[in-house]
Amino acid sequence: MSATVAPEKILKELAALWVEEGKHGSAGVLRACSMTLVVMAEESEDASALGETLAALMPEHPARTILVRLRAGAERALSERVYQQCWMPFGQRRQICCEQIELIASDAALGDLPSVLLPLVVADLPVILWCRCPRLAAMPEFGEIARLATKVVMDSGAFGDAPAALARMAEAQGHGLRVADLAWTRLTRWREMLARVFENRDHLARLSGVGEVKVTCGRRHESSAWYLAAWTRNALADAGLSPAIAVVPNAEAIRIELSGAELRVVLRCDGGTLAVTVNDLTNQTHLEPASDYLLMREELAIVRRDTVFERTLSTAARLAVSSKSE
Amino acid sequence: MPNDNPFQDPLRFERQAPECAVVIFGANGDLTKRKLIPALYRLAYDRRLAAGFAVVGTSRTPMTDDQFREKMREAVEKFSEDTPLDEDVWGAFARGLYYIAGDVKDPGMYQTLAAKLEQVEGERHTGGNVLFYLSTQPSQYAIIARGIGAGGMGKGGGWRRLVVEKPFGHDMASARELSNQLHEVFDESDVYRIDHYLGKETVQNILAFRFGNGIFEPLWNRRYVDHVQITGAESIGVEGRGAYYQEVGALDDMIQNHLLQVMATVAMEPSASFRATSVRDERSKLLRSIRPWSPDEVLKNTVPGQYGPARIGGEDVPGFRQEPGVDPAAQTDTYAGLTLYVDTWRWAGVPFYIRTGKRLPKRVTEIAIQFKSAPLHLFNRDADADGLNLLILRIQPEEGISLRFLSKRPGSGMTLRPVSMDFNYGSSFGERSPSAYETLLLDAIIGDPTLYTRQDMVEASWAVVEPIQNVWRNHKFDFPNYASGSWGPAASDEMLARNGHAWRRP
Repeated sequence: MSATVAPEKILKELAALWVEEGKHGSAGVLRACSMTLVVMAEESEDASALGETLAALMPEHPARTILVRLRAGAERALSERVYQQCWMPFGQRRQICCEQIELIASDAALGDLPSVLLPLVVADLPVILWCRCPRLAAMPEFGEIARLATKVVMDSGAFGDAPAALARMAEAQGHGLRVADLAWTRLTRWREMLARVFENRDHLARLSGVGEVKVTCGRRHESSAWYLAAWTRNALADAGLSPAIAVVPNAEAIRIELSGAELRVVLRCDGGTLAVTVNDLTNQTHLEPASDYLLMREELAIVRRDTVFERTLSTAARLAVSSKSE
Repeated sequence: MPNDNPFQDPLRFERQAPECAVVIFGANGDLTKRKLIPALYRLAYDRRLAAGFAVVGTSRTPMTDDQFREKMREAVEKFSEDTPLDEDVWGAFARGLYYIAGDVKDPGMYQTLAAKLEQVEGERHTGGNVLFYLSTQPSQYAIIARGIGAGGMGKGGGWRRLVVEKPFGHDMASARELSNQLHEVFDESDVYRIDHYLGKETVQNILAFRFGNGIFEPLWNRRYVDHVQITGAESIGVEGRGAYYQEVGALDDMIQNHLLQVMATVAMEPSASFRATSVRDERSKLLRSIRPWSPDEVLKNTVPGQYGPARIGGEDVPGFRQEPGVDPAAQTDTYAGLTLYVDTWRWAGVPFYIRTGKRLPKRVTEIAIQFKSAPLHLFNRDADADGLNLLILRIQPEEGISLRFLSKRPGSGMTLRPVSMDFNYGSSFGERSPSAYETLLLDAIIGDPTLYTRQDMVEASWAVVEPIQNVWRNHKFDFPNYASGSWGPAASDEMLARNGHAWRRP
């Protein structure tokens, strides 16, 4: 395998693709690009599944995608290929196409990546870095790569030590990096349902009586549980309340309970449904499995600062680290 | 105790609709089947409705709840163009559908309705919130509002809102009278006058385009804009609604509401915030700034038209007077072309040309902003390249924005030709756009009246339209004056030609 990649050559190949497409397309193609999406994944990861996820994201978030496949090992290796992703929107005659670049980089070549990526990002558009391998986040070269990005998406749920992962992400955020965490994104539906409970004026009026919040979770969802507890704590603080907060890991599944004198709200996942209990009344709603596609679809839609997440991450890291030291 | 829900996160999830019951008067009508129920079902499909949601349909046709559910299921299957019927979602949605039969003129019907709402509240936990939707003949609006009041449903444990469809009166006096009658039961803040044009994504996008970008607004005034053309064209005729249409006409049907609202959106001043009151205040101010015409001026600055028979695509098409149910001597306008001026510092002297009509060559709604030409012509230009700095905001059918400007033709010499830079809404966003009724129904349930028309806006529109209406009604026109499939009467072209302008051919 080659150990060098020339960004100029990649850009020429991309331009040639468009010229070729223009010659052959019957009704023409429309080039669409709203961002550069850099995806970093292990080479061992199922390429076709990841390819399907990226292809599914493109119609809604057309992007120049740079897929970096990481090869563990000391041998220095770097190679590339370019191709297009096209689709025909329903009822339209023109194809829409996005550019894709695939790079293979060994650990030893990671230091060269920023100089390759920098000329390849599309000018004036956001750069989203989706880091799918936890080990990369711990490598010294990661910081340099992350600095190219407008936003870095990670998944603390894939890290072994949830409090440590949250602390590292909060620290990166403190240094000005805009981060996102899929462990937080998985909670959107839960948070939405909890918010919906308090659209009812009677329930909102009884919120002031809430004195205790308890979140239980399995080990796999520990970081999500810390987020849920932190977000609830912050929301209640905004309402002038400071209830006792408890996160209990090692349970079967994730569950949150807000309890007070006149109000008890419980959200729990029961198979494919999310059950919301308010006092004695339970409503169930279908809970779609949180696929990578759905999670990234949501994250790619948010390029500006997400102040609710930033505040929650800080709180979650503080709660998680202090519970660990207790 | 907090007044606002502290758990909201607008960046991640939209504000949820509160629990409520929607009462639809005219539930067996076309609008309910084609638009309202498909829109509500789509909101349920997108999980935008609360668990405590119900629809109570009412009309004169006797039906059980189950028969109503079956009928509405057929409507969703037939008219939900881009939403599959999901059995689980439909099952949950259909359990919240109820029906009562009755005549809106019968006081007993409102007692039955009140009892039904009580039952629904117990079964569906709708929180006492009720949205009344009047999808009936306009002549029944006041009767129904009074019935709601007499039945004790105008006030209750939760909020009560009333949605009314256009027309909001047929002139200034009747519009005022209608408002007064509705206000006997509902406060103005609880009256939602629906104009589905304002719910269209692309009409809302006009605000985003103008006020979200810094580069266009500095050009958006009399110094740079030569004139503005607003077109709302339909290719179809009256489609069996001749008897109704001959009483209304194009001016009242399209311009008094839809196109004047579009014009207000295009020309209004930036509002201080995107809150309902601010945006509606600015729209209202703009409408009040439109110069009303004197009777003499009406004849110079407006053109009514009526389509005659023609052969289109090998098919004979009847003229308006040959349509079923239409008086063979009808003086109804099926076309209206107006020149309007806005008396503000921003728009003084800039003509706004508005036209709408039936049986025009194609269905298209768009706004064309013609900018002034460059002060000196340095280059050779192709013959049709005059005045070609044009911004087109396309509302339907292919939503988007195009900017036309001049570019050098390839080759030696400096000859310029117009080129177009296009933004296509559908290609740039893979997401599905909600229908106007989805947007507007959800807004009404949430209590956001930004996209609804207020009483003062309705009256300001009538202040523009009524003088024209009066002259047209008292004048005998030589109808038909345009052939089906053409772009309208020659007099309309002449009206623009007097100002050195010409209608675009969209």
